[in-house]
Amino acid sequence: MSPMKLCVPGEFILCSTDDCIPGTGVYMRHGYIFSSLAGYVLKKNEGEELPVISVVRETETQLLPDVGAIVTCKVTSINPRFAKVHILYVGSTPLKDRFRGTIRKEDVRATEKDKVETYKSFRPGDIVLAKVISLGDVQSNYLLTTAENELGVVVAHSEAGAQMVPINWCEMQCPRTHTKEFRKVARVQPEYLHA
Amino acid sequence: MPTDTKRVRGPEVSQSLSRFICKPETTLPSDGTRADGRNRDQVDVRPVFVRCGLVSQAKGSAYIEAGNTKLICCVYGPKETERKDETDMKCGRLFADMRFAPFSCPERGSWIQGSQEKDLSLMVLESLQPAVCLHKYPRSQIDVNVMVLENNGSALAHAITCASLALADAGIEMYDLVLGCSIRQDGASYLIDPTFLEESGSNWASGENQGSLTVSFLPSLNQISGLQSDGEMGEETLTAGVRTCIEGCYKLYPVIQQALVKAVRGAAPPPSES
Repeated sequence: MSPMKLCVPGEFILCSTDDCIPGTGVYMRHGYIFSSLAGYVLKKNEGEELPVISVVRETETQLLPDVGAIVTCKVTSINPRFAKVHILYVGSTPLKDRFRGTIRKEDVRATEKDKVETYKSFRPGDIVLAKVISLGDVQSNYLLTTAENELGVVVAHSEAGAQMVPINWCEMQCPRTHTKEFRKVARVQPEYLHA
Repeated sequence: MPTDTKRVRGPEVSQSLSRFICKPETTLPSDGTRADGRNRDQVDVRPVFVRCGLVSQAKGSAYIEAGNTKLICCVYGPKETERKDETDMKCGRLFADMRFAPFSCPERGSWIQGSQEKDLSLMVLESLQPAVCLHKYPRSQIDVNVMVLENNGSALAHAITCASLALADAGIEMYDLVLGCSIRQDGASYLIDPTFLEESGSNWASGENQGSLTVSFLPSLNQISGLQSDGEMGEETLTAGVRTCIEGCYKLYPVIQQALVKAVRGAAPPPSES
């Protein structure tokens, strides 16, 4: 295997735009491609005509929650109007620092938006799968939504302290006390359902 | 008659300030080789020792040693802006902080940031800002903290180099590395990368062209991102000084590149070709 080329920010990578398309970790200037990270130069043939050139480091590039990304978050506080969460993972990459997000009452589910009660959808400490709808503005946090079947509470603990099992899209049951609690549950992926 | 107890009355006869300035003991020798064996009027920067990735808690870090000047820099981020009113929707914000350890200078300092440190922090920020691709990090802030462990001259120049290395080590996208270099103009000759004594020593004999200059330079893009000068220098001397600093930066560039490459290779094996 030929040794991979290492480069530093600002280093001129060998091709101009005629040969390659710029990918991540690079920038274009005067028609030439320069590196913007200190890492390995990777040239991939994506199947299109031109190969994509990018610079990667082993540590996954710091991902920021972007609009449309599925994020995993933990509910920190609830309020009749919204729920505040800490965003922990973006996709499958863990974030080193926690970003704050808000799930408004009308974004909890797609139907009967005005009849939603946050107390019956989330509780503090729940792990929720949500999607970013907006970066928010200066004063607010990231705006998230769970208004899809696959989004919602994934892991929740009952008042007795045991991890609950989902029964249907709006209830979860505690295995120890057998009490049912209301949550907006995310649809379980088919591969995890036992017959 | 009520006496005036609040005002401090000065002496009735005033005298010139220069009478009371005590001449510094160290004066720059006007010619010949410098104290550490380097030459005047030659682009002779001190050999530099650089290491990246030494602070495990920080996202990125770098340590630089030039002669006896030792600096360490840590980078944290991108993280959510701590103060809501400073959040910028379109691009990230850079916060730079430069501090001198109390034991760094010949005279013991304090841990609280003085006005000189605040000034230097602002200069570090100004030098780094054009180089970082802030538009890729909206709504976030990146913290750069430089600490000078021992100051033996041109602390600002090395702080800028150290900070840009730490940013590259943290994986923050930059247009180019920023290198710093400083000179001390002493009459007709210049001393590049001055030591503490050379920086603070003064020559009362030759009055003109006494000053120091620090330049921060982006070598690949050939742009200057920061310029700081002290003292009194003529126009041509100043421009010649800037050119000398740029030459000094180019001399430093291969060493810095090698250190970064070493850090990347040490931190991670090359990704498998897929």
